Formats: sequence, C-alpha cells, structure tokens
Amino acid sequence: QEINIEGSVSDIDSGMPLLGVNVIIEGTTKGTTTNFDGEFILRSVPTDATLVFSYLGYETKKVNVAETTDFTIQLQSDTQALDDVVVIGYGASSRRKLTGSVSTVDAESIQDLEPLNAANALQGTTAGVSVTPQSGSPGAESNIRIRGISTNGDSSPLIILDGFQYDGGLNSINPQDIESITVLKDAQAAIYGSVGANGVVLIETKTGKRNQAAEVTYNTYFGLQQTTRELPLLNNLEYALLTNEKYANAGQNLPFPDVSQLRTNTDWQDEVFDTAAIVSNNVSVRGGSENTDYSFSASHLDQKGIVAPEKSNFKRTTAKLSINTDVRDFLNLSANVIYTNNRSQGINSFGLGSVLFNAINIAPTIRPDRFNLDGTIDLGNEVANPLAQIANTFNDFESNRLSGSFQAELEYIKDFKLTARYGFNSSNLNNREFFPEFDFGTSKVFNRPFNQVNQNQQEFYDYTFDLFNTIEKSFFDKELDVTFTLGMTAFRTHGEGLFGARTGVPRNSYEFADIGTATGVGDNQTNGSFVSEFRRLSYFSRVQFSFKDRYLLTGILRRDTSSNFGPNNSTAWFPSVTGGWIITEEDFIGTNDVLNFAKLRASYGELGNDRIPNFLFLSVLSGEATYVLGDEQNLTNGQALGPVANPNVKWETAKKLDIGLDLKLFDNSLDVTLDYYDNTREDLLIPFIPTSGIFGTAAPGSSAPTRNAGTVKNYGFEAAIGYSKEVSDNFSFNINYNVSTINNEVTKINGAPFLEGGQFSVGQLPPARMEVGQPIGYFYGLKTDGIFQNQTEVEAHPSQRELAGVDASPGDIRFVDVNGDGIVNQDDRTNIGDPIPDVTMGLNLSFTYKNFEFSAYSFANLGSDIVRNFERDQPNVNMLSRRLDRWTGPGTSTIEPRVTTAATANKLFSDYFVEDGSFLRIQTISLGYFVPEKALQSVGISSLKLYAKVDNAFTFTEYSGYDPTASTGAPIGGGIDLGFYPLPRTFSLGLNVKL
Amino acid sequence: FSLLSCADDFVEEKPPYQLTSDTFFETAEDFEAALIGAYDPLQATYVNVILGEIASDNTHAGGESATDVVGWQQVDKMEHTPVNDNIDDVWDFNFAGVYRASYIIENKDKIDFEGKSQIIAEARFLRAYFNFELVKWFGAIPIKPEGRFELGEETSIPRSSVEDVYTYIENDLNLAIADMSLESPQVGRASKASAQALLGKVHLYQDEFILAAPVLNAVINSGQFRLYGTQGDEEFLNLFEYNAENSAESVFEVQYTGAEGAGFGCLQCSEGNVMVGFSGVRGYSGPVYESGFGFNLPTQETFDAFEANDLRRELSILDIEAWADETGASYTIGNQDPRTGHTGYYNKKYLPRKNDNLGDANLTQPNNYRAIRYADVLLMAAEALNRGNIDDALALDYVNQVRVRAGLSEIDVSGSQLTEEIFEQRRLELVGEGHRFFDLVRTGRAAEAIQGFTAPKNNVFPIPIEEIQFSQGNWSQNTGY
Repeated sequence: QEINIEGSVSDIDSGMPLLGVNVIIEGTTKGTTTNFDGEFILRSVPTDATLVFSYLGYETKKVNVAETTDFTIQLQSDTQALDDVVVIGYGASSRRKLTGSVSTVDAESIQDLEPLNAANALQGTTAGVSVTPQSGSPGAESNIRIRGISTNGDSSPLIILDGFQYDGGLNSINPQDIESITVLKDAQAAIYGSVGANGVVLIETKTGKRNQAAEVTYNTYFGLQQTTRELPLLNNLEYALLTNEKYANAGQNLPFPDVSQLRTNTDWQDEVFDTAAIVSNNVSVRGGSENTDYSFSASHLDQKGIVAPEKSNFKRTTAKLSINTDVRDFLNLSANVIYTNNRSQGINSFGLGSVLFNAINIAPTIRPDRFNLDGTIDLGNEVANPLAQIANTFNDFESNRLSGSFQAELEYIKDFKLTARYGFNSSNLNNREFFPEFDFGTSKVFNRPFNQVNQNQQEFYDYTFDLFNTIEKSFFDKELDVTFTLGMTAFRTHGEGLFGARTGVPRNSYEFADIGTATGVGDNQTNGSFVSEFRRLSYFSRVQFSFKDRYLLTGILRRDTSSNFGPNNSTAWFPSVTGGWIITEEDFIGTNDVLNFAKLRASYGELGNDRIPNFLFLSVLSGEATYVLGDEQNLTNGQALGPVANPNVKWETAKKLDIGLDLKLFDNSLDVTLDYYDNTREDLLIPFIPTSGIFGTAAPGSSAPTRNAGTVKNYGFEAAIGYSKEVSDNFSFNINYNVSTINNEVTKINGAPFLEGGQFSVGQLPPARMEVGQPIGYFYGLKTDGIFQNQTEVEAHPSQRELAGVDASPGDIRFVDVNGDGIVNQDDRTNIGDPIPDVTMGLNLSFTYKNFEFSAYSFANLGSDIVRNFERDQPNVNMLSRRLDRWTGPGTSTIEPRVTTAATANKLFSDYFVEDGSFLRIQTISLGYFVPEKALQSVGISSLKLYAKVDNAFTFTEYSGYDPTASTGAPIGGGIDLGFYPLPRTFSLGLNVKL
Repeated sequence: FSLLSCADDFVEEKPPYQLTSDTFFETAEDFEAALIGAYDPLQATYVNVILGEIASDNTHAGGESATDVVGWQQVDKMEHTPVNDNIDDVWDFNFAGVYRASYIIENKDKIDFEGKSQIIAEARFLRAYFNFELVKWFGAIPIKPEGRFELGEETSIPRSSVEDVYTYIENDLNLAIADMSLESPQVGRASKASAQALLGKVHLYQDEFILAAPVLNAVINSGQFRLYGTQGDEEFLNLFEYNAENSAESVFEVQYTGAEGAGFGCLQCSEGNVMVGFSGVRGYSGPVYESGFGFNLPTQETFDAFEANDLRRELSILDIEAWADETGASYTIGNQDPRTGHTGYYNKKYLPRKNDNLGDANLTQPNNYRAIRYADVLLMAAEALNRGNIDDALALDYVNQVRVRAGLSEIDVSGSQLTEEIFEQRRLELVGEGHRFFDLVRTGRAAEAIQGFTAPKNNVFPIPIEEIQFSQGNWSQNTGY
C-alpha cells in the first residue's frame, strides 16, 4: 500500500524552514527536496517505508512512515561535524587527523567576548599565544606573540584572512564577521615557508548556509568605560612637606616655607580621567539557495577614550559581502569583499610627555586652569599642565581599506581539484596634525613659538595570487587515504607616501589647518616621500597520508624567492614533516568509557621570516656627500654609498619541534591537549651590527650592514584542558583551562657582545639587552641591597662615588658590587629581571541554565617583570605615595631611599624600579538571557538575547602602575612602563536579535 | 627548474626611484658626484691633525679635566692601548675615505667621457692621501688596489707590509700625476702639484731622498706657489685667517664651512673643522675669538722654542694671560693636570675666530686646514736635497726663504748642521698643524723628545681592538701593544 506524504523540515534550534533537504525513501533512489518554505510532498510512499532526511551540516534523521502521521520534521545541526574541520592553509584537515599543534577560537567564544579587536579573542583562550595591547587608548593595536619572542626584529605572526595575506592589523576587521581563528604554532605552518616563522593566524569569516532562508541578525551594545586604577599620589600637604624635606636634606631653602598657606589641592588624575561611552551596531544577512550562499554584514563601532574623550576616540565602520556559488557540478566560484573605514583621534598617550605622565608628575598645588605654568613651582622643562596639553592637541587619522578575494575551484576530474584565488588589500591612510602656537610656560618642551600643520598621505596595495591543485585518493580498499597538494603563490606589495609640514596656519586654528591654506615660508616647511616595493614567489607541495585511519604522516616542502633575498641566497627551501598515531584505533588499546580518543603527534620543520628591511643586499646611493668647493666656498652635494650592503643577507630560519598528545576522555566530555615545543630561531637579522671600518661604515650617511648573526631559543610546555557537560536539558556547562611555559634564551650573537635598547628616564644608559645566555630583552641595571642606615654602613661599603659623582649618604640605596672590584660603578650592572612571563594561562567557563547564559574569561601571566618609568626625575614633581615611607633616619626604611634634591645615585636604573608584573585578569563576565521563543513568534523574531557584560573586570597584581598587561612589544626594551594609558573597564548592555 | 628560474624574474625588483650601485657610474655626472663623496671624508681628517699634535711634544691634551676625551689624554701620556675610541676614529674615518675613493677607481672602466682621467686621477690622489695617513698611524694596513673591500674580506685580506703599502700609495700618486691638470679644476680640489708634493712627502717618509727631491723641486719650479706674505698687501700674520684661505701658499687645503649645522652624534658628518672648536679657549669672552673646549694646548717648551723676533711665535701661539691683560678678555681653565693640562697657551693657527657659523658652533668652525703648504714643500725639498747629499746650496736657499719670511736672518750652514736647522725649522714653521709627531718618528728622534715614548712600540699606534676582533685573527696587533 502506498500513501502520499506532505510535511515540512525546519531547524530544531531556530525553527527556520530548511530549503533543499533531501527526502529519500530508504533503499531506493526515489525522493524529493524541500521547497523554499521547507515543505515537501512525496507521492506513492509504501506504508512500511523509512524516510531519510539528509541535509549538509545537519544530523541525518530517519522516520518510519508507519509510526507517525505528523511529518513536521526538525533537524539538529551537526556541530560535531562542522567543528571537526580545521583550516591548515591551502586546505583543511579533520581535527581528528591533524598532525600539527593548532589552536582554534570559534565564533561562539568571539560572540561571548565581543572584543573590540579580534586579536583579543586569542588572549587567554589559546595556549601559547600571548596578546598584549600596545595601549588602552581607543584604536590601539595589540601585539600577538606565538610561543615566545624569537627575534629582535618583527615577531608578529602572519595573518591569513580567508586565504590571503592580510597586513591591515586585526583592528580593521569586525570581530562579529569572524567564524573562526586558527593558530598554527608549529611546523604545520611550513606551507607558508618564509613567512611562517612567527606562526600563522588563519581567520575565516562567516559565510551563508546553503538551502537556508535569509537569516537576519542585529547585534548591538552600549557601554561605559572608566579607568581601572588611579595611582596613589601625594596630596598638596604631603607633597609640600616631602618637597620641603627634599630641599632641607640638601641644605637648601624650603620651597613651601608656610604649608598652612596651601589652598589648592588638585587631583590631576581626576581631572584627566573621564567616563566614556562605547557603542556598537552590527547587522548581517546570511542565507543560501541550493547552489549559492551569500553573506552581507555591516558594522559601526564608536569608542571614546577615558582620557580626553573629545580628543581621543576611535570609529570603525565595516561592510562585508561574500558570495559562493556552484556554477556547475565541477565549478565553484566565490567572492569576498571587506571594506573598512577607521577614524581616530589621539592624545599623546605614550611615554615622556604623555598626558598621563604629566598628570602623574605635575604638582597638586597648581590649579587646573593654570595653562601656563610661569609663576608656579618649577617642574622642569618636560612637565606641563595635562589639561592645557589636551586643549592644544588636534589630530585626525583616517584609513580606508578594501580587501577581498575571488576564487574559482574546478574539479576537472573526480578527486582532482584546481583552485585559483586572487586576494588583495588596498588601503589609504590619511593623517593630519595641528600644533597651535602656545606657551605652556618658560622653556617647556611643548612650547610652540609658531603653529604648524603636518599632513601625511600613504597608500598601499598588495595582491596574493594562489594557484594550487589538490588530489584526494584512496587506495587499498580505503585503507590508505592520500591528499596531495601542489601549488604556487605570488605576492606583491607596493606602498607610497607623501609628507609635508607647514607653518602659518591662519587664526592659529585647526579649522584652517591645511598645507594649502597655511602661509609659512622658510626652513620649517618640509616635505618627504617614500616608495616601497616587495615581491615573493613561492612553490609548495604537501602530501598527507592516512593509513588504516590511525597512522598519519604529512610532508611539506616549500620554495621561496623574494625581492628581499640577496643574490648569494636567492632561494629558500623549507621542509617539514609531521606525524600522528591515533592510538585508540589500535585493537590492543581500543576505546572504552574512560578513554575515547588518543593521538600522539610530532612535528619538525624549518620555516622562515622574511620581514626584513627591503633590498639590504643592494648598495643604495643614500650616503651624505657634501664638500666645500669653488671660489665662493659653496657647499656642493654629490653622491655616496649609504648603509653597507650585505649581499649574503637571507631570511631568518626557525627550526620548530613539537611533540603532542591529544586525548578525549569520559564520553568525550574532557578534552586534553599536551605539547612540548622547542623553537630555535637561527640567522637572526641584526641591524647595524658592528663591522670593520675598512668598509667605510664611518662615512657620513653610511652605517654598518644588517647581518644574519644571532640565535634565540624558546621552549616550553603547553596544556589545554576542556570539559563540557550537559547535565540536564536545562543546565549545561563547559570549562576550559590552558597553560603554557616559556623559556627564552639567546644562544648566539656574532660580532657583538650584546645589543641594547629601550629607554629609562632621561640621559641614562639603555636599560635592556640581548646577550648570549640571557632572555632576549632582559633588564640590565644595578642590583640594590637595601638602604644605607648610617655613615658606618656607607664607609664599610665599596665607594658608589663613580655612579653620580658624589659619595653615598645614609638613606641612599646601597648597590651591590657585583663584579667585586671594590668599587660600585656602571660595570656592576647585571640581570635584574626580564619582561617575558614564565607561565601564561587562561581559564574560561560558561554555563547555561534554562534561558540564562553565563560566561567568564580570565587570563594570567606569572613571572614577568615590568619597569616603573613614569616618575620624572625633577626636584619639584609630585611623587607616588609610597615615598611617604621614605628613609628619614636609621631604621626607618630598607626600601625607600631618602628624599633630596642633591645629586644621588638613587635615580639610576636599578631593581628599585623593577617590579613583579605578574597578574591575573578577569577579562570578561557576561550574563545573557534568551527571551522565550513563544513571546517572540508573534513579532516575527526567532531569537532574542539580552545581556550585560563587564570587560576588564578585575586585575589582581602587585604592580603599582596603571596596567601590567600593556607593552610596546619591542623585543629589546619592551616591558618598560612609560605611563601606559590603561585599558578601560567597560560595563555594557547588549542585544542580539535574529529574524 | 628552468621554468622556476624563469618565473623567478618576478622577484627581481629594484628599489623604486633610488640610485643603486648597479645603475651608478653611467654618466659623467655620476663620476663627478662620487668624487665629491670622496672629498667629503677629508673633513673628518681633523682627528689626525689634533691627535697627531697631542701625541707630539708640542701640546698637552687639555680639555675639561684629565679624563675629558680619555683616548686623547692617554695618547698625550703615551699610555694608549688598543682600547681607544679616538684612535679607532682615525682608523674608521680614513678608511671611509679610502672606501669612497676606491669606489670610483673600481668603476673607472664603466664608461668613457671627456674629463674622466682627471676625476680618476683625483680619486687616486685622495686614496693615496687617506692611505698615507693610515700607514703613518698604523704601519701595515690591509690594501686592495682593484677597489672596495667586500664584506668578509676583513678575515681574508692580510695587513700588507709598510713597504707594500707605500708602493701602492706611490703607484696611485704616479698614475694621478700623469693625468692631472696643472691647475686645480676648482678651488678645493687637488692639482698635479698636490699629488707631486704628497708623493715627495711619501718618499721622504721612506728616506728615499733621491726620489723625493725631483718631485718636490717640480712643485717649487712650477711657479704656481709662493710663501704668503711675500707679495702685495699680504700680511704673513694673516696666513691662518679666513682671507688667506686657498692662497698662493696652499698646495693642498681641506675645505670647511660653517654654513651647515652639526651634532656630536656624527662628528665626521660636520662640514666644519671640529678640531677648531675643540681647540678654542674655554669659557672665552672677548674680542676676535670664540670660546671652545680647550684641547691641544702648546707647552711652555714649545713657546720657548721660538726666538723672540720669530714672527711665527705670534702666528702660532696665543698667550692667553697676555691676551687677557691686553684686551680684557676672560676665560676659564679646565684640565689642570701637570702632564696633560693647562699651559696658558693655545694653538692660534686653528682657534675659532668670530664668525656666523651654525650650531653646534663648536663643531662647525669654517677654518680650512692647510694640509700641504708651500713652506712645508720648501722644507721637505731642502731635507731631501741635504740628507740625500744632492745639493746643500739649493737646500739652504729653500730654508732661508722660510726663515726670512718669518722675520729671521739668513744663515749659512751645511751638512749635518743644515739637517738640524731643517728639523728645527720644520718644528717652528709647522707647529699646530699635526706634522711634528710623525717627523720625530721618521727621523728617529721621538723617544728623546716625547715623554713616555718607547721605540719601536710607539712608532705606530695600536690597531683598534675592535678591528682585531672583526678580523678573527687575520690581523695581528702591532708589536708591544
């Protein structure tokens, strides 16, 4: 007997009808597909038949016709199947068969975190990946470091966005457009050859789904930001008394002879910090028909700064469109275009002369409206009124970026697929700065005797052209699966810039600040330009074997040539091998209730870093050639060679070893990943490395060459543990923890005993070094041993006279005579810390209970050091309140030296200024509520989530500065806090709607 | 792989809009531009002059204190070691000159054009000039006649013997003389006589009197030069003033100007004469002069070497106390160490005069350095004629020309007495100009004249420690250091 069946198919979660679901009578070829409304009609179905509903990305469902009359079918999306695929560059692998060390962050985590910058989604969520913001100011970029710092040069990883090289900074990508972020940490990245040494971050953006009606989402949030911390500084009375004491200790007249006369008590931090708003709106439409899917999205973010919100802010507008269509069974075309507009304004937020630096150092006895400090206490030339500084700051930065890719995939024979892809980035950067004529007080460095406008326009263009062929074949009854990829990539980038500056802006006003409008003449009108060009050509192949589903082996070979490589080293080969063994596939182990899956993997390979200055192998006539010639004794210009060329210049080589173990335990609820890694970076490119004078390095405009001359090693352990459990229909939770250790050591520098960098205070020796046997960029300074309590102690100690030209006095810091030569001088400097954490970790948990969803993300660094360098060394500046505990007589302090205006060595770079930078930060706490579907159906909304979130909620740290997480990211000289603009704490309310 | 290499053309890029070595020396203009580049390092040879003077018995190091420019202080006391930044400067700055001149010579055959031979000849003169300074200071040095040194050659090219270095210098000069025009093409550039005078000097330094005499005589007989102050309204005492720059006495002169600023970060980049600001009177306030750093202080013994009626004492040495009494000028005293400090005298030939040079004014004094003066040529010729037993009468004539110009009477001596007279005149005539130390060394009189001098160790200076390290054992240290 046969019947006709009418029914419909929808998504069990969203209730959305599914288009194009295959409905087949089991055991036959007879069937149909659902229409646009998810409905189907199947005629002449035997009453004992079983219907099979199958749909890509969903679990297949079988329904026995005899058992039901209601054919309203709901399909469950197969998250397991989707999560299982991991992009690995020029292809993908199932996570199960992955042989390299790879971390991923999925859309869900990004949705939870809703970071301003996609880079922050990696912070604390991925083992071995360190993300440090360059500043808390709006629009600041973050540094990403994968498994330590391996080079004195550029340590940032390669960013691949939907297959093409993306150099725009993650700040220009809308985080809500991201489907997944994948980090290749080991030799797996060798497919990227000379660009892969710093690791590779692969970003896949969201696409539409086939056979799905348009899904519209709208996400928005509004937040208020404030500073997490104000430094404890002296109030007016404390300040006056301590300053008096400084003078008294030096036998000088007191600057505040009558402290009872103090009237003004300005809290300068209160003056400069503000509560600032942040607003984000994001809309997307995604869907697809049987052969085509599409995705459109647009977003706008407007963030104001917590210091000077009107002068410091960031606006990002993005639009993205992607289309993917099967033109024929064998031909797929896709296009993906992203537009970003960034606008920002900024205040001086960095180092000596920053607004916060001034707020910390200016005297509390000065009224906020004293924009010109003449007649107030002398604070030296560098400290000015921060409010006056804000009022005189004018700038505007705008960038427009268009990036995208076009791709064709042709399956010309079954299992033989050819992919051609063209990716591009095109960007315009536009910067305008205005410095009005203003007098901050006699001889202040900020003073502008005349106004000036600076303009700067840059444009960059690059393309990546990929052509590769993939063959997937099975042999021996599917016992052996082989995937072979062979291809090439051509990359070109070109940049140009024009700069100009002019004085004489009419009315001293930003309104008229333009080079064309300004009227200045003379030496202060300057201009300049640059042109850059870089090309790379690569061939690569990868072969992946899987035997009996348990023995896995991948070999990668890539060949690179690049316009940066000299004639003597023009071609680079990068080989790697990765292997895996799925132990639980073996009969003698098998799976059981406890152990569901176990895979042992190992990888070794070589990768390169070609991010080096262009054309180092070529002699450029950029030297200075000026001589005096002729009767009139005129300066005459000729031409001379610039920096010495190095024809042997080549890429840096990273040798990466990784041994790992992946486990799934307890009914797949516990995931464990363990890794040991060893990255050795050889042939580090060291600029200006001292070189014999016979090469003319001392000639004007010349300099020593850049040479491959160093080795840095990073090694450590990583572990990631995840546990997820669906306790009941109403309650489920998951918890993820990751930890990694870093050991960093410089093992070789040729031609120089050490390299130094960084800056501490003014006019002091560089505080950071790169030296064999030490971590890269370790702090090099004097070691302290308490405070001299009395003259006897001073006399019993080796003389410290050489340090500051005066003998130490009781109350001064006692420095250790490290080299034991009976005298304390700069030769006694030694390792007093390093900015690289020993251990980094992240702990993230989330649970859902009925309609509520809670998540918390946290991360921690242990064992990093940070240098306190935001106190100006001037007699009358304000001080941290810790100085109240200063030494004032025998036994009063063993930590804080006396205060004095006299010359002392106390201000020299020593471990007195080095603090433990370890911290634990609760980054995000979020509580969401899903409005019940019943309440929504009437208004046509399929899902509505309301949430409240706190970002940067708490930081547990001993560090006394604003923010232990901020760093310049400089390999040598990072970890020195010049008064970083702290990351704000943000309280926000948000709304996610799906239609 | 032929397919691969073909596609590799894709990466064969040039820096856009930049002149590179590959595309240079393709026009006559390129050669002229490169030649200016080779003259430029002459300005950095101020270090040779001031340190040569400090090394001799003429002057004390001076400065702010006994540790101010410690490398100079050590040389003054003949206590210098291979660790000495200032001796390293002499090595680096002069090799920079060799490198730039060699760059032109290396490309001499790339194109042909009218006037090329003159440019190549000047490049050879300059290379010889810098190499001669280097061999004077360091003895055996690495040389590469065909062109520039290339990275890596510091570990393979040996230090050539002093003899070979001199042969190489002579070869450059002989080729230069053959091609050079009689007249300098432009004020400030070398002429045939410049090269001849330098060649004569090079021979004299090797006691090759037979070879030195004719080439020095050729300069004298060219009629191009005369002693300043012997014609028209010239005033001998103005010889080192601005208005006597590039005068008829100047056989070769290093040109300086104050028209461009300079900084301590790159002293060799200054277009001014850095030696002059360093030689100025500390804290000076008064007429005629500007203040300076108070280095290179003539000793009492140097002052006393002049006869009272010798005009050259007034020309060469400023007695600051007398000057202050006379003009009311004020000044301060820095280094008071008896061995290296204050003497009351300053090197008047190269003191900063009041002028409108740009900052840092101490580094941009425009005083030209009279590298080879006609008086020097006369005395060198006299020495060659006398010590080579060629013609004492002619030698005496040359010496008397120099004496008379200085306000002294003619004398009549010969043989070894004449030799002594020539040595004495060289000291008095050329004091403050950086020649004394090397004159003493080449005539074997340094040990008796210079306190702390040990022969043969101090006949040359140590190879800088950095260079020994760069060469990875290829270059050995000079004996005794």
